[in-house]
This record gives sequence, C-alpha cells and structure tokens, in this order.
Amino acid sequence: MAEITTGRDTVVIDEAAHEIYRRLTEGNDPVSVPFRTMKDVFMWAACLGYRHGERRPLTGKRVTIFRWAQFTPQVDIPLLKALAIADGSDANVLLSQDEILSIAEEYANAGIHELHAGVLDEYGQPLWNLIEVIHNTTTQEGGGRYG
Amino acid sequence: MKLERITLENFRQYYGRQRLIFSKDSQQNVTVIHGVNGAGKTSLFLAVNWCLYGSEGATNVGELVSKEAVSRARNEEVVRTTVELTFTHDGERYLASRRLESVKQADVSISVSGTDDFTMMRTRWDGQAERVNNPIGTMNAILPSNVRTYFLFDGEKIDNFAKPEASDEVRYAIYNVLKLEVLTRGRKHLEDVAAEYRRELKSVSSGELRDLIEQEERARAEKEQVLARKEALEREIESARHQITDIDQRLREMQNARALQQQRERLERDIKQRRVEMDRLVNDIRDTATGGFVILGQPAIERALAILDEKRERGEIPSNIRQQFIQDLLDRMRCICGRPFEPGSLEHQQLLTLMNSSLPGSLEDDVLNTSAALRPFAERAQMLKDSLDGAMRRRAELLDFIQTLEEELDDVSRQLKGSPQEEISRLEKQRQDFRADIESYRLEQGNLDTRLETLGKEIARLEKQIERARKDESKQHLLTRRANLAQRAADAIGEMYQVFADDMRQRIEARTKEIFKSLVWKDSHFQDICLGPDYRLEVIDRYGLPARPELSAGERQVLSLSFITAMSRVSEEEAPLVMDTPFGRLSSHHRNSITEHLPELADQLVLFVTDEELRDQARQNLEPRIGAEYRLEFDRGTSCTEIVEVR
Repeated sequence: MAEITTGRDTVVIDEAAHEIYRRLTEGNDPVSVPFRTMKDVFMWAACLGYRHGERRPLTGKRVTIFRWAQFTPQVDIPLLKALAIADGSDANVLLSQDEILSIAEEYANAGIHELHAGVLDEYGQPLWNLIEVIHNTTTQEGGGRYG
Repeated sequence: MKLERITLENFRQYYGRQRLIFSKDSQQNVTVIHGVNGAGKTSLFLAVNWCLYGSEGATNVGELVSKEAVSRARNEEVVRTTVELTFTHDGERYLASRRLESVKQADVSISVSGTDDFTMMRTRWDGQAERVNNPIGTMNAILPSNVRTYFLFDGEKIDNFAKPEASDEVRYAIYNVLKLEVLTRGRKHLEDVAAEYRRELKSVSSGELRDLIEQEERARAEKEQVLARKEALEREIESARHQITDIDQRLREMQNARALQQQRERLERDIKQRRVEMDRLVNDIRDTATGGFVILGQPAIERALAILDEKRERGEIPSNIRQQFIQDLLDRMRCICGRPFEPGSLEHQQLLTLMNSSLPGSLEDDVLNTSAALRPFAERAQMLKDSLDGAMRRRAELLDFIQTLEEELDDVSRQLKGSPQEEISRLEKQRQDFRADIESYRLEQGNLDTRLETLGKEIARLEKQIERARKDESKQHLLTRRANLAQRAADAIGEMYQVFADDMRQRIEARTKEIFKSLVWKDSHFQDICLGPDYRLEVIDRYGLPARPELSAGERQVLSLSFITAMSRVSEEEAPLVMDTPFGRLSSHHRNSITEHLPELADQLVLFVTDEELRDQARQNLEPRIGAEYRLEFDRGTSCTEIVEVR
C-alpha cells in the first residue's frame, strides 16, 4: 500500500540564481530590498514559473537556501501542493514530498529570472516594480487589476 | 576606593599639620566641609587631587607651600609641604603621600628642591605596612587619572556634559570610566600583529600571493580612510545641526521672525510624523506585496481544485471502502461473508480491481485536507489585493500631503530670507547653507557606504584568493593563519567593543533617566533622557521634543550630575564623590532633591560647601546622612585656615 514519503527537507536552487535571491533579500530598505526571506522569493518565483508555463530543471551546482520547515502549513504548503497537482493533473503526486518540492524548484528556477527581469532590471524601485508585476501579470490574464 | 583620612602639612593656607577624617559609614556616608568664600575649601579639594595625581591633578594652583611656614622658617631652613591621604580599596588600606621640600632664601623667597616625591604604602594583613613599588601605576589602577574628574569635581563646572556640543566629552567619559580603552588597546595591538604577519608573509611569498596581499592591504588601508572620513563627516553634520539649532533659537527670540519660526517648527514636526507614518506604511506594503504570490498562484490553485473536485465527482473521494480493509481480506483470502476463495477466482479478481482503483488512506486524507486548505485562497487573494490597493492609495495621499507641507516649509524659508530685517534674512540664509551642507555630507556618506560595501566584498574576495594561493607553502600557510587569527581576534574585539559600549550606553541612559527624574523638580515636564549612538545627551519634554536648549543652568548641572552618578553606578567602581561647591547656583528645589537623593547614589560623599549652600530643607535632608562635619576657620591675623571638627 502506498504511503506519503517525507523525502528531503532542503530547498535548493541553481547556484547561478543565488545572487538574485541575495539581491532581493539582503538590506534594510524595504523599497530597494522588497523581500524579507529567500523562502518568499522562492514562492514568488515558483508561482511566476507556473504562470509562464515553464519548468526549468536545475542543471548547475545546487545551493541550499532554506529548509522545508520554513514553509507555512496554512499557505505555502497547500500552494506548493496545488502547483504539483496542477502540473501533472494527478493527485497521487501528494504521496511524495520530494516530488512536490522538485516541481516547485523547477518552476522557481524558471520564475526567478522573470522576477529578476520584472523587479530588478526594470527602471524604478524594486518594491514598486514588484507591485507592478502583480498588476501586469494578473491584468494580462484578464482578471481585473490584479487578476 | 573610600577615603579615610587626609593630613596636610604646610599646604597653602594650612599651616602646620592638620587632619580631617572622612566618614566611611555606609548609612552616614556624607562628610561636609564648610567655610565661607576664601576660607580654603578649594585648597583642601586641591590637596586631595595634588596628593593623588601631583601637578597633573592640581594645575594652575599657584603656590603650594604655606607662606606662613616660609615666613617663620630661618634662612636656609627646609620647609616641608606634605599631603597624606589614607584610603581603602578592594579590602586593602593604602597611605598615599606627596611631599615637596623647599629651602628658604635670604630674600624671603623659596627654592624648591627638585620635584615632589610621591610614595605609597599598603597595610599588610598582619598590620605591617609595605612600600608599593610602582605608586603611580598602582594609583592609576585604583582610580585612573583620566577618570578622576568624574569623581572629584567642581560642582559649578560640570554642566559641560549637558551642553549640545558635549557628545565627545560624554563619549570620552564613558570610554574612560567603563575602561573601554582596554578593548581598544587590545584591538590595536592585534591589528598591529596582523599587519606585521602580513608584511612578513609578503617577504616570503610568491609573486601572485604578494600581489594579492598588497591588494588586500590597499583595500584595508582605503577602508580605514573611508571610515575615518565617515566619522569626520558625522562630526561636520553634528556641528551644522548645532548651528541650525542656534539659529532657530535666535529666530525664536526675534519678534519679527518668531511667528514664522514657530510655524516652521510645527511644519517640521508634522512632516516628521508623516514620514514615520510613511515608513510604517511602506513596511506594511512590503509585507503585503511579499505575500502576493498567493494572487499569482490563483491559476494553479483553481486547476488543482478542479482536479480534486473531479475526483470527488467520480466518487473516488471519499472512497466507500478503505484500502486497508481490502488488503486485510486479500491477506486472509476470505470474502467479507467469511467464505474462503482461491487465487485467481472471481472474488479474488474483483478485490484486486477494487484495491487498484481506490486511494491509499493517507493520500485520501491529504487530498481532502489540501482541497479544504485551497478553497479560502480566492478570498485571501482578494483581501490581499484590496489591502494592497488601499495601502497604495494611502501612500499617494501621504506623498501629496508631505509635498504640500514641504512647499509650505519652503515658503516660510522664503519669507524669512526676504525679511526686510537684515539680521533675519542673514540668519535664514546661513540656515539654508547649513542644511545644504548636511545634505551634501549625507550624500557623501551614502557614497562612502557604497564604497565600504564594495571594499568589504573585495577584501572578502581577496582573503579567499590569498587563502587559495598560499595553500602549497607551509610557512606561508602558518603566517597566513597567524595573520588571519590576529585579524579575526581584532575584528572580534572590535565587535565586542561595539556591543559592550552600546550595552553600557543604554544602561547609563536608563540610570541617568532614573536619577534625573528623581533630582529635577519638573519631573513630569521632562519625559525622557536619551543617550543615542551619537552620545548626545538629550532631554525629551512632554511634547516628545528635545528640551536641552531650554534647560536652565541649574537643570544642566543636575543633568550632568545625573550622568556622572549614573556612570559611577554602572561602572560598579567603589569610588567617592568629592564635590566642590556643588549647590552654588542651584535653586532650593534642586538643592533639596539632590540632598535628599545624592547620599544614596554614592558610596561616599564629600561636600565642600558654603553655609548658604546648605541650609533649611537641604540641611535637614542631609542631616541623618552626615557622618563627619568640619568647619574651615580662616584667621584674619595670620591668613591661615584651621580645620575645626564640628561633629
């Protein structure tokens, strides 16, 4: 009988993307450094990756940026599970925490570059750019101002 | 340190040998020495300083030798001037003695023979006295010379700490009394050692390593320069701020500028409040926006819910029969009715089909839980959007409001600058210049911060490269380790220093506030005392505004006294407070509260006072704490002073 496997508990990213995570989290000014934790950047990147329909496997050297326990059970974990279910149209993915995490990591690996382009590469301050990303992404898909 | 006894011999107007015993009792810890102006209070105060620290402790004191003793001596006779001070410290008793010998000349002048002679004796456990070999060093270990002015001081001159430009004095006092110098010296020494190792390493290194080390040294040297420049800029900013405060004060005092200046202060307060609100709002917006992935994740959530709902619709969830139940039947090879069946039989086939199409129990729970957890997300996303919209609207309003206030502020400045009264116009122009200076200093500081960050990264990169380059050579390896160790130790001490200094500053701040509020009679008007990272001692009034410019001379003296006593309490040094004319310019309110509380704040208190300073309620307050009392009687016939014991 199949049981849910707990799997690894470290969240990894491509080393090449580490600098983006750092730039988005290191500093005290909320306007220029819009994120408090790498976990939040990861969640953003994973959601953006899904929205753009792009999963990008991690190919380079991997860096651990935080642990599974940092995901909140009320918001983050259900959302990661939703990404995994939606990705393969199969609820059985819930049996493997490892698989859920791998799917999120691959979406985040694509989404982080979207986030970089929208927040850090755009003209203007990163926090306002971040809000603009919410606005633009959701508006493009016809859901009103934010979706 | 607790003073026990002082003996003077031919010291200034104290002719012959005279003695005074200080009260050491913990309850009656006050010694009062009073006398009229000119009776010899300051001379006696100087005698304590001269005995312990020589000419360093008694500068500009004029002639030390008693003129009466000189006049009575025969020609060529030696006149001896001595001050002996007995005190206890850390359970041991010391006798410090300083002596000056002079020879009377035929023309009534004196010739001083050499320098004064300082000796120190320590009483051993068996009562025998032994000579201390390094008396100056020992004295400095007991109460360092650079600290003494915070324990032995002229009451009328201590308001320095409360003056706006006194941040250096305050920092210096904390630095000395709390012995932070030890850490600074340790850090400097280790940095020197690290630099020495780096130099040695350079001489034995290969070309590449040498280049890297040179680059690191240059980066470190530049970092030091940048830090020094930053400190200099901070001082410039402080100075410009003081100038602006002075100008504001003067404008307030000028009738034709007062209304505009008051309007400016209101506007500045208002802008400050709005900026605080803006900071809070931006932080809230950041937190909301950070959680914005919930909005972006909506398509995934909707898709997942559709898949899970489909499973429900298909009847897979919740399943009618649990997998575990089917598994048990298969294990026992029996039907639910108890009848056995064979492998490959119809019953067996049906059970296997059911087993494969049902979900594991744990997965079923997870599917149900996930489904339930995802349903409120749409509402959550909507709330987040609304909250973000609201916050962004409020931000736009605040920005407009601040801009309007700033325009009004500019207008006030324009009006002042265009005033027909030349003095007002000139002051406003100066004020604008100082503000422009501060802005340009801040800009430079910002650039320096960026440079520091770059240098920090460069140093870290070079350290890594140096680490790699030196791997193969054992001597280099050893030297690098030593240099790194010394540098890390120095850095660690630097960090410890910062943490320790901050901790001490905060403790002194809390203690100063407590003492100040107990001593000052307008305690409800003065709400707080701040001793910020810039070491500015600030009094905050009931409106939350700095009140130091408005403090009276007496209040400044009380503030300084609070700071000094707070420092001595925090330092946990057992040291006496010896104060010359402490209440001279204080009103009776302050005099009364100080006499009520000060004896509790010092281990031992010695007060040199005039009769006028200590009377009525102040005298009554002190009365139960006085353990010894003396009067200095000046003899008009001989111009000498006699120490008379009153109690």
